[in-house]
Amino acid sequence: MGWRIGVDIGGTFIDFCALDEATGQLHTLKVLTTPDRPGQEVMEGLALLQSRHGLAPAEVESFVHGTTVGINTVIQRRGAPLALLATAGFEDVIELARLRMPEMYGLFCARPDQLIPRDRIFGVGGRILSDGTEEVPLDAAGVREAARRARAAGAAGIIISFLHAYRNPAHELAAKALLQQEAPDLFVFCGAEIWPVIREYERTTTAILNGYVHPRVDSYLASLEAALQARGIAAPPMITKSNGGIMSAALGRTACVSMLLSGTASGVMGAGFLARQAGVERALTLDIGGTSADVALIIGGEAQFGTGEQVGDFPLHMPTVSVTSIGDGGGSIARVDGFGVLKVGPESAGSVPGPACYGRGGERATITDAMAVLGWLGHAPLAYQSVGIDRARAEAAVGELAAPLGLSTAATAEAIVQVSIASMFAEVNKLVARHGVDAREFTLVPFGGAGPMLGCLLARELGMAQVMIPRRPGVVSALGGLIADVKNDFIRTLFVELEEASLPALRAALAGLRDAAETWLRHDQGFEGPAVLRLSADMRYRGQSFEIEAPLELGWIEAGDLDALRGAFHARHAAIYDFSDEAAPVQLVNLRLVVAGTTAPPDFPRWPEAEGEPVPEREVSVWQDGAARPTPLFRREALLPGHRFRGPAVVVQEDATSCIPAGFAARVDAHGNLHLSAEG
Amino acid sequence: MDKVTLEIFANHARAAAENMAYTLYRTAHSTFVKETEDFTVQLTDPSGNVVAVPMDLGATWYPGITYGRAIGMIPEYEPGDIGFTNDPYSGFLATHAPDLHMWKPIFHEGEIVCFACGHIHNTDMGGAVPASLSRTLTEIHQEGIRFPPMKLYRRGELNEELLRVMLLNVRKPEQNLGDLKAFIGALNTGERKVRAMLEKFGVERFRAGLQGLQDYAEHQAREILRAIPDGQWSFSDFADEDSVGGNPCRLRLTLTIQGDSAVLDFTGSDPQLTSSLNVPTGSDPRHTLLLVGVYYVLCTLNPQLLLNGGLTRPFTCIAPEGTVLNPVFPAAVGMRSLTCARLRSLIFGAFSQAVPEKLPAAPAGTSSIMNVMTTDNRTQQTVLAAVNPVVGGGGGMPHRDGTNGSGADGAYLKNTPIEITETEVPIQFLRYGLLPDSGGAGRWRGGLATVLEFKVFAPNTRITARNRDRSRFRPWGILGGGPGRPSDFVLNPGTARERVLGNTDIVTMDPGDVIHIHSPGGGGRGSPLEREPERVLEDVTRGYVSAAVAESDYGVVIRDGAVDLAATEVLRARLAGNRTPAHFRFGPEREAFEQVWTEAAYAELTAILAALPVHWRFFIKGRLFAERAAHPQMGVREVYERVKAGLPGLA
Repeated sequence: MGWRIGVDIGGTFIDFCALDEATGQLHTLKVLTTPDRPGQEVMEGLALLQSRHGLAPAEVESFVHGTTVGINTVIQRRGAPLALLATAGFEDVIELARLRMPEMYGLFCARPDQLIPRDRIFGVGGRILSDGTEEVPLDAAGVREAARRARAAGAAGIIISFLHAYRNPAHELAAKALLQQEAPDLFVFCGAEIWPVIREYERTTTAILNGYVHPRVDSYLASLEAALQARGIAAPPMITKSNGGIMSAALGRTACVSMLLSGTASGVMGAGFLARQAGVERALTLDIGGTSADVALIIGGEAQFGTGEQVGDFPLHMPTVSVTSIGDGGGSIARVDGFGVLKVGPESAGSVPGPACYGRGGERATITDAMAVLGWLGHAPLAYQSVGIDRARAEAAVGELAAPLGLSTAATAEAIVQVSIASMFAEVNKLVARHGVDAREFTLVPFGGAGPMLGCLLARELGMAQVMIPRRPGVVSALGGLIADVKNDFIRTLFVELEEASLPALRAALAGLRDAAETWLRHDQGFEGPAVLRLSADMRYRGQSFEIEAPLELGWIEAGDLDALRGAFHARHAAIYDFSDEAAPVQLVNLRLVVAGTTAPPDFPRWPEAEGEPVPEREVSVWQDGAARPTPLFRREALLPGHRFRGPAVVVQEDATSCIPAGFAARVDAHGNLHLSAEG
Repeated sequence: MDKVTLEIFANHARAAAENMAYTLYRTAHSTFVKETEDFTVQLTDPSGNVVAVPMDLGATWYPGITYGRAIGMIPEYEPGDIGFTNDPYSGFLATHAPDLHMWKPIFHEGEIVCFACGHIHNTDMGGAVPASLSRTLTEIHQEGIRFPPMKLYRRGELNEELLRVMLLNVRKPEQNLGDLKAFIGALNTGERKVRAMLEKFGVERFRAGLQGLQDYAEHQAREILRAIPDGQWSFSDFADEDSVGGNPCRLRLTLTIQGDSAVLDFTGSDPQLTSSLNVPTGSDPRHTLLLVGVYYVLCTLNPQLLLNGGLTRPFTCIAPEGTVLNPVFPAAVGMRSLTCARLRSLIFGAFSQAVPEKLPAAPAGTSSIMNVMTTDNRTQQTVLAAVNPVVGGGGGMPHRDGTNGSGADGAYLKNTPIEITETEVPIQFLRYGLLPDSGGAGRWRGGLATVLEFKVFAPNTRITARNRDRSRFRPWGILGGGPGRPSDFVLNPGTARERVLGNTDIVTMDPGDVIHIHSPGGGGRGSPLEREPERVLEDVTRGYVSAAVAESDYGVVIRDGAVDLAATEVLRARLAGNRTPAHFRFGPEREAFEQVWTEAAYAELTAILAALPVHWRFFIKGRLFAERAAHPQMGVREVYERVKAGLPGLA
């Protein structure tokens, strides 16, 4: 029995979850981030765990770390200067992208600048056709020339991405070999080795993102590994991935792209785990921070996966836990426009300067200020004692808007909250509509610093009757790493008709995928525990221009059970689009295999049920529905399993404040989660 | 309604519209809906004025559409009814036959409180040609089966007979039916969401909210107009051809802004055409097709704009009957999208004179939609597929270059990966990228054109490229910026078998043939001589601009990969001497055309044609163009008298 440690880096704090397997106890703590010395705070946190909870480095069995080094490199555009070798005649592949721009009504719509400017993109002769045959051999002299020019232009690394390389990577591999001779000092990644999927723009962008963050991620992980070793932690560090799984940090140094969205992914995995543990199968997770809120669906206890999630300005086309980010957070700023309409966001005070009530230089009213004015906040410091609430500043900021609205300061604050909730409602509504599900059948699981503050209000707007606030809302992402599987995705593009003649190709592809998965898990990761394989395929009706992913059973392809394969697609199509066409021919575009080396879920102790009512620490006054109302304030530690109470109530704890309006009945479950049910 | 509740109501109304849009998008069958997103949904007030639209799904044309006339053509409604029409001449709701519009009244205690509405573009509605669209068609009857406003559902019961008539007459009945079902689902979703809103807000506040949102949008539009100085600005833009191989088609606008309202007078636009390029607007002073360009301008001037019918209230349009912008029955209208693109650039041009500091130069302004029909030599099966839309760049903006290869009013189009097309269609791409030197030169350069080249391998391979335009008259530059390079369409470029196809939209290819197409580039903004030399150098190193054009257009001399500052200074001084001030730069083609067809001559032409019976106008226009080409020294009136003398039926 040893320790399992999950560490997650956020904008302001780094969160620790440490599970002492001997006792089943979960210890959490937060340390301020030190952006100038990344990795330093990890050591600081470990030292604190050692001194406070008796953690012995030698007893650490697993160390899982979620890092934002990769995504920050993209957002801040501080990555490596790269060159791209593309098929001659198609050099503009990343600038044209998929054409459509994010904003369609204004004449100033524009694409973000590319990570590789056009003067470092080199067209190289040579052509592989769609069936994988070579039409024109690779222009080796052109590759050498490009290497020379790339170096002259200051490139630190080269991405090679040629047409149809997913089908036949020979030209990419030959070019890579040439580059390694010609320019051994430059690192090289090929499109087909990073993610060998059909669609040139998506494949190329994925490889570019990988190369762009590679040097920074590499050096960060190298120093982390060294520091952990120096501290006496023998377990190889693992890092969290965008797919909700983990991999060894050693592998992460080259497979950088698969960790870019790990932060949001592990939050959803953590929230999903907690929901499942509490018997909640359908959840809408809501992680609200300072500038944005991340929303995701848990269906049947499982996170949903997709591709095309945004990394900074760019879509990432590898399987990722589906998370929708909306521009409303605790720091969203309220204003009154020329027509006298109250608007909240999209402008945000973020965490610097932050809401006015933080007293750090923010002067404009935010959602957090409105909550402070109403009296929901301000009874305890926020964020592990690091932020005090200055209600006078909040009132001054909110008061600025009271006159143009013709309302009292309190009524203005209430209006700000209502408007921001309505705006979040509209955004969450889109996610729900896109998935064709009914929010009312889901439980809202709010977490993050501001989730529990707004969760009940949003649930009410969405008509959701159930809310579950985790015992420790602030460290859900770190927990997500702790419970994650060692997991990787593999893909092979086939693009075949689903018919008898395609079976040999399907069998060969499946065998290849299984080999690759086996090698990755057992050899690259050295994982020895039990593993599961999940097979799926991207399929479409012939003539459709997009695919949907349908889960398959491993035995179907070997058995040649075409009906089962088709049936899986028809069923999935019907589930997503409300119809299927059993008579239409089906094409199988990509075969996907997920390998997951399973981590035994921690068995958190169930606490015995307490008797009776919880005792509020005191009574506070909270403005609700147009009047100040006496409202009990509870300390979260005092809420024991079995306790029940009714809203309105304020629940304070180190990492978040939960605001429970009238009309919700609260119950504490055996794991300490707070379940809120809308009454009537 | 108070302004706090209004904002909350706005979010709920938008959410209702977005729910409708996602339901339609998710459950529709056709590529038109799924890929092109050629559909819209709206919530309207009981009079049929739009209150809310989705923001990121569907087409951009109809936030100000008015359902009222079509709604009124059905005498009474009951709960469960759904009205529909696709006839461009009944109610002036549908604007070509493939667009099927539907509306569902939503009742509360016996009264209609709003309508859930929308349209889908059907792949085919029957008629003379597949997809129901061709420039060659000359009357509406050739463009497919039409339904005047009538009930598709009566008290929740589908009118199966009507549906059978429709499905019998169209080429892809299963697709039409699939999309129709999805559409009905979307309307029902809209009704459900409206019911939830009624419950939350109560009927009185619901009604007030519908009006309040329109007032809000109106207020925003008026604020924008008020910030523009009062004045009158005129502008003309030309489509290259008014019919297959025809003459230019002029659109004319006089924009008058006074205080917080504006009049758009399209008098002077060409007479209605004997081709399908007419834009049916039914003399509606606020017809949405006339105002699409205005939506873009307003959204550019205030990106936070609320989109609904209230926006259109400050505007009054005048489009005389019998003209290309207000044709009378039975003029064909199928390809109105080509003319609508010119209509947008016409509006951009007029506003760019009113607020030159705030608006960009002309975007490429035409997107050729490419389709290929060929035979797979291995399977011997016919393959019909959409290839990429060929979209051009945006115009130079006040603060940055026009976007390359897409942007402005073409930003909604998507492409298909080369790898997908090559896998599905037996063609091979040789090139897909940006065309150097195609963006208009300027302080801020116009966005580059897209170029596409591919080879085919089977006999009788047929390529169609809808919306071909701007291969003659270029996207204009402003404030000293040059025009973008025109579009072109060439068979077997650089070979002995080269054939320049210009605005041709159908071409048949032999095995081994290569087709080249490029879009226009965007117009430039501001004098190219004022562009920073380093920026010009960067364009050269990136291959966007050649060293030769850097010198000839920008006056920047580049030697050994660096700017020769001394030589640049000398050259720029010399070039500056040759420049004349003008708001617009149109390029040599339009300048040459306007040498012959001067402003005065065209006014004369318009006056003559406007005085004729509608059925004579297009014919006489063609004759006058031909005669004047033969006798360029003669005046328009003189030529007309000669033409008239040979035409006994013309009084």
